[in-house]
Amino acid sequence: MTTTITRTTIRVVVPIVLVVAILLLLQGHKLPGGGFIGGVLTTAALVLVYVAYGLDYVEMEVLDREVESGGGIFERRIVTAYRRLFSLGLGLAVVSGVAGLLFGEPFLSQSFVVFHGVPIYHEVELASALLFDLGIYGVVVGGLLTIVSVVGAE
Amino acid sequence: MPPHIVVAPMLVALGTILAVLGLRSARAAQRAVSVLGGAVYAAVVGLLTWRVMLSPAEPTPLVYQIGGWPAPFGITLVADALAVFMLVIAAVVTLSAVAFSVRFIDEQNQRVFYHPLFHCLLLGVTGAFLTGDLFNLFVWFEVMLMASYVFVAFYGEAPHTAAAFRYLVLNVIGSAVMLLAIGGLYATTGTLNMADMSRRLAAPAAYGVDVAPVVGLSALLFVTFALKAGLVPFQFWVPAAYRSAPLPIAAMLAGVTKKVGVYAVVRLYFVVFAGASLPTEFGPISGNSPLAFLAPVLFAMGAASIVVGGFGAIGQSRLDGVFAYSSVGQVGFIVLPVSFAAAAQSASFRRLALAAALVYALHHALTKSLLFLSTAAVRGAAGTTNISRLGGLAAFSPALGGVFLIGCVSIIGVPPLTGFFGKFLVFETAAARYAAAPGLVPATAIATLLAGALFTLLYASRAWVRGFWGEQTEAVATATLDRGQLSILAALALVVLAVGVGFDPVYEFAEAAAEAALDRSAYVDAVAPRGGGGQ
Repeated sequence: MTTTITRTTIRVVVPIVLVVAILLLLQGHKLPGGGFIGGVLTTAALVLVYVAYGLDYVEMEVLDREVESGGGIFERRIVTAYRRLFSLGLGLAVVSGVAGLLFGEPFLSQSFVVFHGVPIYHEVELASALLFDLGIYGVVVGGLLTIVSVVGAE
Repeated sequence: MPPHIVVAPMLVALGTILAVLGLRSARAAQRAVSVLGGAVYAAVVGLLTWRVMLSPAEPTPLVYQIGGWPAPFGITLVADALAVFMLVIAAVVTLSAVAFSVRFIDEQNQRVFYHPLFHCLLLGVTGAFLTGDLFNLFVWFEVMLMASYVFVAFYGEAPHTAAAFRYLVLNVIGSAVMLLAIGGLYATTGTLNMADMSRRLAAPAAYGVDVAPVVGLSALLFVTFALKAGLVPFQFWVPAAYRSAPLPIAAMLAGVTKKVGVYAVVRLYFVVFAGASLPTEFGPISGNSPLAFLAPVLFAMGAASIVVGGFGAIGQSRLDGVFAYSSVGQVGFIVLPVSFAAAAQSASFRRLALAAALVYALHHALTKSLLFLSTAAVRGAAGTTNISRLGGLAAFSPALGGVFLIGCVSIIGVPPLTGFFGKFLVFETAAARYAAAPGLVPATAIATLLAGALFTLLYASRAWVRGFWGEQTEAVATATLDRGQLSILAALALVVLAVGVGFDPVYEFAEAAAEAALDRSAYVDAVAPRGGGGQ
C-alpha cells in the first residue's frame, strides 16, 4: 500500500479529514456531529497514515521519539498514551455529566453562555455540552487507536 | 428536585470503572477499589429499594429524566418494583462475584482490564434494568455484550476463542435483528419511550397507530431476548460460553445477564405491548393482544429448554459443564410461569404466575452463582473440575462440601432453601392452571416440570456423590484451599438459606414486582409522556 500515489493522496487528504473532524466535534451540541463522529473521523485519518507509512512512523517522525525495541505492543509509549486518552476522556465525560448534579439539576444536564462582540465571529456560544463531547472524543480516539495499533501489530 | 438515587447505581458503576482504570499500576489498590465499588453498588441499590418499596413519602415508581428533558423526548430512567427486584439480584451476585474474583483470578489476568470490564458488564446490566426507553435498552445490551465478549475470550486459547467467536457472531446477528425491530416500532408508533409507546398502543385510533405490524416486530424483539436468555432453540452458544469465561464471570452471566433477557420479555410484553389489541381468529390462540401470541411460543421454548438442559447436564463430565447446561434447563423453569401469565385471563392468576417466575429467577441467580463459585473454588484447590478426577472433596474440606451441598440441595428444591419455594410456586401455578382448565397444555406443563425436577435431582446428586464422596483422588489429596474464597462462599450460602427461611418478605417483594409489571397505567402515569397526542 505504500506507493507514491497513496502517500501523496494521503498527504492531501489527512489534513482535510482532520479539519472536518474538529468542525464536527465543535458543532456537535447544536448541529449534526459531536464527539463520537468527530472521534471516528480523526481515527480514520490516523489509520490512513498508518496504512501508508507504517505503525512506527507516527512515533518516530511525527513525535520524534525512539521506538523501543523489544516488549509487546502494550509497552509502546504511544499505545500507553492512547490508553491514557481513553481514561481521561471517560473521566471528562462523567465529570461533565455529574457537574449538573451539583447545581441540583439531573444527571447530564447542560447549560451554555453566548459571548457577543467577539472579533471576526461576532458571537461565540460556549456550551457545557462541548466538554462532554470532548470526553467522548477522547474515549473514541483513544479506544479505537489502541485497538488499531494492537491488532495492526499482531 | 429529581430523586438522584435512581441514577446512582449507574454512576457508581461508571465511577468504579474510572477508578480502577486509573489505578491500573497500583494492583492492591485497584482490587480494593473494585470490591469497594461492588459494595457501594449494593448499598445504593439497597437505598433505592428502600425508597421504592418502603418509603411512604415517595411516589412510586421513581422516574428520572436524564438532562432534564421531558418524557417522550429525553432519556427516561424508571425504577419500579420490577426493576428494583432485578437490581437486587444483580447486586447480590455482583458483590460475591467481584470479591471472589480478587481471590481467584491470577495476578497476570487481573491486570489485563479484568476489573474495568467487570464493572462495564455491571453498568450494562444496570442500564438495561433501569431504562424506560427502547433504544437505550439496545445500547445497554451492547455495553453488557461488549464486556462479555472479552470475558468469553478471556483466557485466549483455541476453545475460548472458538466459543467467543460463536457468541460474538450470534449476538451481533441478534443485535441487528433487535435494532431492526426497534426501528420498525419507531416507524409504526412514532416513539421510543416505553411508556409513550404503551400509551399509544392502548389507544391506536387516537394516535394513528397501526397495531398489526407491532405483533410481528415484537416477535422479532422476542427472538433477541430469547437468544440472550439462552432459551431453546437459541441455547447452543450457552454451554461453550459459560465454560470459557472465568468462573466468577460465568456466575454473573448465568445469574444476571441471562435475567436481562427474561426481564426484557416481561417488561416489553406486559407493560409496553399488553395494551394493544388485535382481533384474531387464529387456531389455538385466544385473547387479542400480542401477549396471546407470545404465550404458546414461550411455553414451547420453556418446555424444550427444560428437557434439553436436563439431558445435556446429565451427560457432562465437568462440573462447570453440568452447571452451564443446567442453566439452560433452569431458565425454562422461569419462562414457563411467564407463559402461563401471558395466557392467563384473570389478573390474580397472572400476578401469581409472574411472582413465581420472579422468585425462581432470584433463586436461580443466587444458587447458580453459589454453584459456579464453588466450582471455581474446587478448580482453585484441585486444579480440575473433571468429576471423574475429583472425589472425597467433602472429607478433604467439610466446609467446601457443606457449601456445595447447600447449592445442590437448593437447586434440587429441598425446603427450607430458596430453591424449594421457587419450584413450589412454579408447580403451584401449573397446578392452578390445570385446575382452572384441565387439558393437554397444563398436563404437558406439569409433566415437563416433573421431568425437569427429576433431571435436576439426577445431575445435582451425581455431581455431589461422584465429586465429593468416595475415595480421595490424587488431585484432591494434593489440593490446597483458599480460606478467603471459602468465606465468600459461606456468606453466599447463608444468603441462599436466609432467603428460604425468611421467605415471606421476599415473596411480598416478588409479588409487588409482579404487580408493577402488570400495572401498565401506573407506569405510564409515572413517566407522564407529554405531547404527540392525536392526529
